[in-house]
Amino acid sequence: MPGEEQDKLLIEITDLLASGLKTRTEPFPEDARQFAEILDELRQLATDDLEGKLVVGGFTDHPYGEDQQRCLECMYYLVHRKWCDLPELSLPVEPEWWCRLWRI
Amino acid sequence: MANLLWLQGGACSGNTMSFLNAEEPSACDLVTDFGINVLWHPSLGLELGEGVHKLLRDCVSGEIPLDIFVFEGTVVNAPNGTGNWNRFAGRPMKDWVRELSEAAQFVVAIGDCATWGGIPATAPNPSESSGMQFLKRDRGGALGAGFVSKAGLPAINIPGCPAHPDWVTQILVAVATGRAGDLKLDEFQRPATFFTSFTQTGCTRNMHFAYKVSATEFGQRKGCLFYDLGCRGPMTHSPCNRILWNRQSSKTRAGMPCLGCTEPEFPFFDLMPGTVFKTQTMMGVPKDMPTGVAKTGYIKLTAAAKAAAPAWAEQDIFVV
Repeated sequence: MPGEEQDKLLIEITDLLASGLKTRTEPFPEDARQFAEILDELRQLATDDLEGKLVVGGFTDHPYGEDQQRCLECMYYLVHRKWCDLPELSLPVEPEWWCRLWRI
Repeated sequence: MANLLWLQGGACSGNTMSFLNAEEPSACDLVTDFGINVLWHPSLGLELGEGVHKLLRDCVSGEIPLDIFVFEGTVVNAPNGTGNWNRFAGRPMKDWVRELSEAAQFVVAIGDCATWGGIPATAPNPSESSGMQFLKRDRGGALGAGFVSKAGLPAINIPGCPAHPDWVTQILVAVATGRAGDLKLDEFQRPATFFTSFTQTGCTRNMHFAYKVSATEFGQRKGCLFYDLGCRGPMTHSPCNRILWNRQSSKTRAGMPCLGCTEPEFPFFDLMPGTVFKTQTMMGVPKDMPTGVAKTGYIKLTAAAKAAAPAWAEQDIFVV
């Protein structure tokens, strides 16, 4: 995705989360099977359904949980691109955000 | 001259196919350069019917000295412990296996099936399969935990699905040329020279492992396959990235996760749906850590590595 387009999308997501978009932060997938179920749900969405991805993914614009988990430590986060590389999401994200597909 | 007999039990012939592709040394080199006399092999033997039967009887009686007995495939015990589901030369194969093992100077188990039961012994194990001296991680198997061949060694286990051809031929050469004493076996009777390092040792993705950059799809040239795609390279003992396959590649180099096929538990998680090619996690943290790494250390390492990751680690550096 070209830089300008990515920046624009990042602003759009930032605004959506700041506006209080209710996302499904719970339940956190405890195992690979539950994780796969969320991925299946994401695959049902249209590729341009941004709000749907944020809701099903359970995005927050701040660290989450007792351990203050955040994108920065997540396996799918590309630090330099500020990008979530999980194919079902493929979104620009900030390092201090979080979603329930977090894993390390 | 060392007489070698190769038989197959509950097998797919994959290890035979692998063996025939050996290069260093090749299967032909065993005969021409290292004095191995192949008495019989299911794919190479000339004798048929009564000829094979007599040869086997002569090996058991000692009329033909049996130096190396190679077994590929599981020892089948079904139904009800009789072994009749796998009959060979007039009787259950498991009976031949026992008698030939007792007659041989050395016994070599090739491939996962012969070593620990492999895929056929996966629950519910309908063929009542076992390996020669192990059933998965448990000692015992078809020959019993205390078995040693005439030369004083237990069955030499060369696991893999299949075993790499050169692991097979190099061990056969060591045994046939009187250097078996140099072989150090690990707790699972695997030659330590091959099975002390990890599949990850020599993997071209080690930089991505270090910087915690994940491959998210098969065949991707960037990223480590451990984090998401179930690669078992960091906890599997094999030299797959030191002694390359076809002398040029390996699973992980080609973008395919290591399945851990040289370990007794293979196939892992009894092949339950969702467990193959997917890293098993508990609350987002891998269930199986790289060997020797503690969970708390792993989490700290991840944070530090992600923070330190250079830009190139996120790119495909193997450009053509």
